[in-house]
Amino acid sequence: MLRSGFIPKRVSRNGFFALTDTIGVSNRFYALASEQVSRKTVKPLDSRKTFLVDTYKHLMENSSVVLFAHYNNLSKTEDHHFRFKIKQTGGTLTKVRNNLFEVYLKNSHLPDPCGFVKRKEQNRSHPLLPLLKGPTAAITYEDANPQQVAKLLKLLKSAQDKLLVIGAKVENQVLNVEKLNDFKSLPTKLEMQSQLATVLQMLSGLGLVRTLESGSNALYLTLKSHHDNQKPKEDAENSSADDKSVESKQ
Amino acid sequence: MITKYFSKVVVKFNPFGKEAKIARLMLAAIPPAQRNMGTQIQSEIISDYNKVKPLVKVTYKDKKEMEVDPSSMSFQELANHFDRYSKRLDLKHMLEMH
Repeated sequence: MLRSGFIPKRVSRNGFFALTDTIGVSNRFYALASEQVSRKTVKPLDSRKTFLVDTYKHLMENSSVVLFAHYNNLSKTEDHHFRFKIKQTGGTLTKVRNNLFEVYLKNSHLPDPCGFVKRKEQNRSHPLLPLLKGPTAAITYEDANPQQVAKLLKLLKSAQDKLLVIGAKVENQVLNVEKLNDFKSLPTKLEMQSQLATVLQMLSGLGLVRTLESGSNALYLTLKSHHDNQKPKEDAENSSADDKSVESKQ
Repeated sequence: MITKYFSKVVVKFNPFGKEAKIARLMLAAIPPAQRNMGTQIQSEIISDYNKVKPLVKVTYKDKKEMEVDPSSMSFQELANHFDRYSKRLDLKHMLEMH
Protein backbone atom coordinates (compact mmCIF):
# COMPACT_ATOMS: atom_id res chain seq x y z
CA MET A 1 0.00 0.00 0.00
CA LEU A 2 2.67 2.42 1.15
CA ARG A 3 5.06 1.24 -1.50
CA SER A 4 2.69 1.78 -4.40
CA GLY A 5 2.02 5.26 -3.06
CA PHE A 6 5.67 6.01 -2.66
CA ILE A 7 7.16 5.28 -6.07
CA PRO A 8 4.80 7.29 -8.30
CA LYS A 9 5.27 10.33 -6.07
CA ARG A 10 9.04 10.21 -6.49
CA VAL A 11 8.75 9.66 -10.21
CA SER A 12 6.21 12.42 -10.73
CA ARG A 13 8.22 14.89 -8.68
CA ASN A 14 11.50 14.30 -10.55
CA GLY A 15 10.64 12.89 -13.91
CA PHE A 16 14.26 12.16 -14.83
CA PHE A 17 14.68 9.46 -12.11
CA ALA A 18 15.55 6.10 -13.63
CA LEU A 19 12.94 3.52 -12.64
CA THR A 20 15.43 0.94 -11.31
CA ASP A 21 17.12 3.58 -9.23
CA THR A 22 13.89 4.62 -7.60
CA ILE A 23 13.01 1.06 -6.72
CA GLY A 24 16.44 0.57 -5.20
CA VAL A 25 16.03 3.63 -3.03
CA SER A 26 12.54 2.69 -1.95
CA ASN A 27 13.61 -0.84 -1.02
CA ARG A 28 16.39 0.47 1.16
CA PHE A 29 14.02 2.91 2.80
CA TYR A 30 11.56 0.18 3.71
CA ALA A 31 14.26 -2.12 5.04
CA LEU A 32 15.34 0.60 7.44
CA ALA A 33 11.78 1.48 8.36
CA SER A 34 10.90 -2.11 9.23
CA GLU A 35 14.00 -2.36 11.44
CA GLN A 36 12.98 0.74 13.31
CA VAL A 37 9.59 -0.66 14.03
CA SER A 38 10.80 -4.06 15.20
CA ARG A 39 13.74 -3.00 17.37
CA LYS A 40 13.14 -1.39 20.74
CA THR A 41 16.20 -0.09 22.51
CA VAL A 42 16.76 1.65 25.84
CA LYS A 43 18.73 4.48 24.23
CA PRO A 44 17.60 5.93 20.87
CA LEU A 45 18.36 3.62 17.95
CA ASP A 46 20.72 6.08 16.25
CA SER A 47 22.54 7.05 19.46
CA ARG A 48 26.23 6.40 20.00
CA LYS A 49 25.56 4.21 23.03
CA THR A 50 23.41 1.79 21.04
CA PHE A 51 25.98 1.83 18.25
CA LEU A 52 28.83 1.03 20.65
CA VAL A 53 26.99 -1.82 22.39
CA ASP A 54 26.25 -3.27 18.94
CA THR A 55 29.91 -2.86 18.00
CA TYR A 56 31.02 -4.71 21.13
CA LYS A 57 28.56 -7.49 20.33
CA HIS A 58 30.04 -7.75 16.85
CA LEU A 59 33.59 -7.74 18.24
CA MET A 60 32.94 -10.45 20.80
CA GLU A 61 30.90 -12.72 18.54
CA ASN A 62 33.02 -12.52 15.38
CA SER A 63 36.48 -12.86 16.88
CA SER A 64 37.59 -16.07 18.48
CA VAL A 65 40.41 -14.49 20.48
CA VAL A 66 39.84 -11.29 22.46
CA LEU A 67 42.62 -10.09 24.73
CA PHE A 68 41.93 -7.43 27.34
CA ALA A 69 44.71 -4.98 28.06
CA HIS A 70 45.20 -2.18 30.58
CA TYR A 71 46.58 0.96 28.92
CA ASN A 72 48.43 3.62 30.78
CA ASN A 73 48.17 7.21 29.58
CA LEU A 74 49.34 6.55 26.04
CA SER A 75 50.53 9.59 24.16
CA LYS A 76 49.33 10.06 20.58
CA THR A 77 52.56 8.69 19.07
CA GLU A 78 52.61 5.68 21.42
CA ASP A 79 48.99 4.98 20.60
CA HIS A 80 49.70 5.06 16.86
CA HIS A 81 52.80 2.90 17.35
CA PHE A 82 50.93 0.17 19.25
CA ARG A 83 47.98 0.19 16.88
CA PHE A 84 50.35 -0.22 13.94
CA LYS A 85 52.34 -3.01 15.60
CA ILE A 86 49.20 -4.88 16.65
CA LYS A 87 47.84 -4.60 13.13
CA GLN A 88 51.05 -6.23 11.88
CA THR A 89 50.35 -9.27 14.07
CA GLY A 90 46.86 -9.52 12.56
CA GLY A 91 44.72 -7.99 15.31
CA THR A 92 42.97 -4.72 16.02
CA LEU A 93 43.05 -2.60 19.14
CA THR A 94 39.81 -1.07 20.36
CA LYS A 95 39.66 1.13 23.41
CA VAL A 96 36.54 0.21 25.26
CA ARG A 97 33.98 2.26 27.17
CA ASN A 98 33.69 0.26 30.36
CA ASN A 99 30.07 0.95 31.27
CA LEU A 100 28.80 0.13 27.80
CA PHE A 101 30.91 -3.00 27.58
CA GLU A 102 29.49 -4.03 30.95
CA VAL A 103 25.99 -3.54 29.54
CA TYR A 104 26.87 -5.84 26.66
CA LEU A 105 28.41 -8.50 28.93
CA LYS A 106 25.42 -8.48 31.29
CA ASN A 107 23.00 -8.86 28.36
CA SER A 108 25.18 -11.00 26.10
CA HIS A 109 22.95 -14.07 26.51
CA LEU A 110 19.92 -12.13 25.21
CA PRO A 111 19.09 -11.68 21.51
CA ASP A 112 19.34 -7.86 21.67
CA PRO A 113 21.73 -6.46 24.32
CA CYS A 114 20.43 -2.93 23.77
CA GLY A 115 16.83 -3.83 24.49
CA PHE A 116 14.82 -3.41 27.67
CA VAL A 117 15.87 -5.93 30.31
CA LYS A 118 14.79 -6.54 33.86
CA ARG A 119 17.57 -6.51 36.42
CA LYS A 120 16.85 -10.12 37.34
CA GLU A 121 17.32 -11.30 33.76
CA GLN A 122 20.81 -9.80 33.51
CA ASN A 123 23.89 -11.93 33.99
CA ARG A 124 25.63 -9.96 36.72
CA SER A 125 28.30 -12.59 37.35
CA HIS A 126 29.87 -12.65 33.89
CA PRO A 127 33.52 -13.78 34.35
CA LEU A 128 34.87 -10.87 32.26
CA LEU A 129 33.17 -8.15 34.33
CA PRO A 130 36.03 -7.66 36.85
CA LEU A 131 38.39 -6.75 34.00
CA LEU A 132 36.51 -3.53 33.23
CA LYS A 133 37.91 -1.41 36.05
CA GLY A 134 40.18 1.35 34.83
CA PRO A 135 41.35 2.07 31.28
CA THR A 136 40.74 -1.07 29.21
CA ALA A 137 41.38 -1.92 25.58
CA ALA A 138 40.35 -5.03 23.64
CA ILE A 139 42.67 -6.64 21.10
CA THR A 140 40.72 -8.88 18.76
CA TYR A 141 41.76 -11.69 16.41
CA GLU A 142 39.37 -13.40 14.03
CA ASP A 143 41.06 -16.82 14.15
CA ALA A 144 42.33 -18.64 17.20
CA ASN A 145 45.98 -18.70 16.20
CA PRO A 146 48.32 -19.08 19.21
CA GLN A 147 51.32 -17.93 17.18
CA GLN A 148 49.75 -14.51 16.64
CA VAL A 149 49.06 -14.29 20.37
CA ALA A 150 52.67 -15.25 21.11
CA LYS A 151 53.87 -12.47 18.78
CA LEU A 152 51.58 -9.96 20.46
CA LEU A 153 52.69 -10.93 23.97
CA LYS A 154 56.30 -10.54 22.89
CA LEU A 155 55.50 -7.10 21.51
CA LEU A 156 53.71 -6.04 24.68
CA LYS A 157 56.56 -7.23 26.84
CA SER A 158 58.65 -4.47 25.29
CA ALA A 159 55.86 -2.00 26.05
CA GLN A 160 56.31 -2.78 29.77
CA ASP A 161 53.72 -0.91 31.78
CA LYS A 162 52.19 1.11 28.95
CA LEU A 163 50.00 -1.68 27.66
CA LEU A 164 49.66 -4.84 29.72
CA VAL A 165 47.47 -7.84 29.05
CA ILE A 166 45.23 -8.69 31.99
CA GLY A 167 42.99 -11.43 30.64
CA ALA A 168 41.54 -12.99 27.54
CA LYS A 169 38.56 -14.70 26.01
CA VAL A 170 39.47 -17.60 23.72
CA GLU A 171 36.47 -19.13 21.91
CA ASN A 172 34.10 -19.36 24.90
CA GLN A 173 36.62 -19.63 27.69
CA VAL A 174 37.97 -16.91 29.92
CA LEU A 175 41.72 -17.17 30.50
CA ASN A 176 43.93 -15.40 33.00
CA VAL A 177 47.50 -14.39 32.15
CA GLU A 178 49.02 -17.66 33.35
CA LYS A 179 46.69 -19.76 31.19
CA LEU A 180 47.25 -17.40 28.27
CA ASN A 181 50.98 -18.15 28.45
CA ASP A 182 50.16 -21.86 28.16
CA PHE A 183 47.80 -21.15 25.27
CA LYS A 184 50.40 -19.28 23.20
CA SER A 185 52.68 -22.34 23.09
CA LEU A 186 49.95 -24.57 21.59
CA PRO A 187 49.99 -25.45 17.86
CA THR A 188 47.24 -23.95 15.69
CA LYS A 189 43.77 -25.44 15.53
CA LEU A 190 44.30 -26.90 12.04
CA GLU A 191 47.54 -28.61 13.09
CA MET A 192 45.85 -30.10 16.13
CA GLN A 193 42.97 -31.42 14.02
CA SER A 194 45.38 -33.01 11.56
CA GLN A 195 47.31 -34.56 14.45
CA LEU A 196 44.10 -36.03 15.82
CA ALA A 197 43.15 -37.36 12.37
CA THR A 198 46.52 -39.10 11.94
CA VAL A 199 46.30 -40.63 15.39
CA LEU A 200 42.85 -41.98 14.60
CA GLN A 201 44.02 -43.40 11.27
CA MET A 202 47.00 -45.10 12.87
CA LEU A 203 44.90 -46.69 15.57
CA SER A 204 41.95 -47.74 13.43
CA GLY A 205 43.70 -51.02 12.58
CA LEU A 206 44.14 -51.69 16.28
CA GLY A 207 40.40 -51.64 16.93
CA LEU A 208 39.78 -48.08 18.09
CA VAL A 209 37.03 -47.64 15.53
CA ARG A 210 35.57 -51.00 16.52
CA THR A 211 35.58 -49.97 20.17
CA LEU A 212 33.79 -46.74 19.34
CA GLU A 213 31.23 -48.62 17.27
CA SER A 214 30.70 -51.39 19.83
CA GLY A 215 28.32 -49.37 22.01
CA SER A 216 25.82 -48.68 19.25
CA ASN A 217 26.25 -52.20 17.84
CA ALA A 218 25.42 -53.76 21.19
CA LEU A 219 22.34 -51.57 21.54
CA TYR A 220 21.15 -52.55 18.06
CA LEU A 221 21.63 -56.26 18.76
CA THR A 222 19.75 -56.17 22.09
CA LEU A 223 16.87 -54.25 20.57
CA LYS A 224 16.78 -56.60 17.62
CA SER A 225 16.69 -59.68 19.82
CA HIS A 226 13.97 -58.09 21.94
CA HIS A 227 11.99 -57.37 18.78
CA ASP A 228 12.45 -60.95 17.60
CA ASN A 229 11.26 -62.24 20.97
CA GLN A 230 8.16 -60.07 20.83
CA LYS A 231 7.21 -61.08 17.27
CA PRO A 232 6.32 -64.77 17.80
CA LYS A 233 4.11 -63.82 20.78
CA GLU A 234 2.20 -61.25 18.73
CA ASP A 235 1.72 -63.78 15.92
CA ALA A 236 0.37 -66.30 18.40
CA GLU A 237 -2.04 -63.74 19.89
CA ASN A 238 -3.25 -62.70 16.47
CA SER A 239 -3.92 -66.24 15.39
CA SER A 240 -5.86 -67.03 18.62
CA ALA A 241 -7.95 -63.86 18.17
CA ASP A 242 -8.81 -64.93 14.60
CA ASP A 243 -9.91 -68.31 15.85
CA LYS A 244 -12.22 -66.70 18.42
CA SER A 245 -13.84 -64.40 15.86
CA VAL A 246 -14.47 -67.30 13.54
CA GLU A 247 -16.11 -69.24 16.41
CA SER A 248 -18.38 -66.30 17.39
CA LYS A 249 -19.60 -65.94 13.79
CA GLN A 250 -20.53 -69.57 13.68
CA MET B 1 47.20 12.65 44.28
CA ILE B 2 50.56 14.43 44.24
CA THR B 3 52.86 12.26 42.15
CA LYS B 4 55.77 14.54 41.39
CA TYR B 5 57.89 13.34 44.34
CA PHE B 6 57.65 9.67 43.36
CA SER B 7 60.83 8.13 42.00
CA LYS B 8 59.62 4.54 41.72
CA VAL B 9 56.19 2.91 41.76
CA VAL B 10 55.67 -0.85 42.04
CA VAL B 11 52.17 -2.25 41.60
CA LYS B 12 51.30 -5.92 41.95
CA PHE B 13 47.72 -7.01 41.41
CA ASN B 14 45.41 -9.74 40.18
CA PRO B 15 43.17 -8.29 37.43
CA PHE B 16 40.28 -10.55 38.45
CA GLY B 17 40.53 -9.66 42.15
CA LYS B 18 38.87 -6.82 44.03
CA GLU B 19 42.15 -4.93 44.41
CA ALA B 20 42.35 -4.57 40.61
CA LYS B 21 40.37 -1.33 40.48
CA ILE B 22 42.54 0.58 42.92
CA ALA B 23 45.79 -0.81 41.51
CA ARG B 24 44.83 0.09 37.94
CA LEU B 25 43.61 3.56 38.89
CA MET B 26 46.93 4.08 40.67
CA LEU B 27 48.79 3.17 37.48
CA ALA B 28 46.57 5.48 35.45
CA ALA B 29 46.98 8.38 37.88
CA ILE B 30 50.65 8.85 37.05
CA PRO B 31 50.95 11.32 34.19
CA PRO B 32 52.74 10.13 31.03
CA ALA B 33 55.23 13.01 31.09
CA GLN B 34 56.54 11.75 34.42
CA ARG B 35 57.98 8.63 32.83
CA ASN B 36 60.34 10.83 30.85
CA MET B 37 61.25 12.75 33.99
CA GLY B 38 62.75 9.63 35.54
CA THR B 39 59.93 7.98 37.51
CA GLN B 40 60.14 4.21 37.18
CA ILE B 41 56.85 2.35 36.96
CA GLN B 42 56.77 -1.40 37.45
CA SER B 43 53.70 -3.57 37.34
CA GLU B 44 53.32 -7.26 37.98
CA ILE B 45 50.27 -9.42 37.42
CA ILE B 46 49.53 -12.04 40.05
CA SER B 47 47.71 -15.24 39.29
CA ASP B 48 48.40 -17.08 42.55
CA TYR B 49 47.85 -15.25 45.84
CA ASN B 50 49.96 -17.79 47.75
CA LYS B 51 53.15 -16.77 45.96
CA VAL B 52 52.77 -12.98 45.73
CA LYS B 53 50.51 -10.64 47.68
CA PRO B 54 48.86 -7.59 46.07
CA LEU B 55 50.94 -4.50 46.73
CA VAL B 56 51.37 -0.83 45.92
CA LYS B 57 54.81 0.43 46.83
CA VAL B 58 56.07 3.97 46.32
CA THR B 59 59.66 5.17 46.68
CA TYR B 60 59.96 8.94 47.09
CA LYS B 61 62.80 11.06 45.79
CA ASP B 62 64.46 11.11 49.21
CA LYS B 63 64.47 7.27 49.24
CA LYS B 64 61.58 6.98 51.70
CA GLU B 65 59.49 3.88 50.93
CA MET B 66 55.79 3.38 51.64
CA GLU B 67 53.81 0.18 51.11
CA VAL B 68 50.09 -0.44 51.03
CA ASP B 69 47.79 -3.42 50.46
CA PRO B 70 45.29 -2.20 47.83
CA SER B 71 42.63 -4.82 48.60
CA SER B 72 41.56 -3.16 51.85
CA MET B 73 40.97 0.48 50.87
CA SER B 74 39.37 2.86 48.40
CA PHE B 75 41.33 4.93 45.91
CA GLN B 76 40.76 8.13 47.88
CA GLU B 77 42.18 6.54 51.02
CA LEU B 78 45.21 5.33 49.08
CA ALA B 79 45.77 8.77 47.59
CA ASN B 80 45.53 10.38 51.04
CA HIS B 81 47.97 7.85 52.41
CA PHE B 82 50.66 8.73 49.84
CA ASP B 83 49.83 12.45 49.87
CA ARG B 84 50.66 12.69 53.55
CA TYR B 85 54.37 12.32 52.85
CA SER B 86 54.23 14.16 49.50
CA LYS B 87 52.83 17.23 51.27
CA ARG B 88 55.70 17.15 53.75
CA LEU B 89 58.17 17.05 50.86
CA ASP B 90 56.24 19.83 49.16
CA LEU B 91 56.54 22.04 52.23
CA LYS B 92 60.24 21.32 52.51
CA HIS B 93 60.69 22.18 48.86
CA MET B 94 58.81 25.48 49.31
CA LEU B 95 60.97 26.44 52.31
CA GLU B 96 64.14 25.71 50.37
CA MET B 97 63.00 27.88 47.49
CA HIS B 98 62.58 30.97 49.66
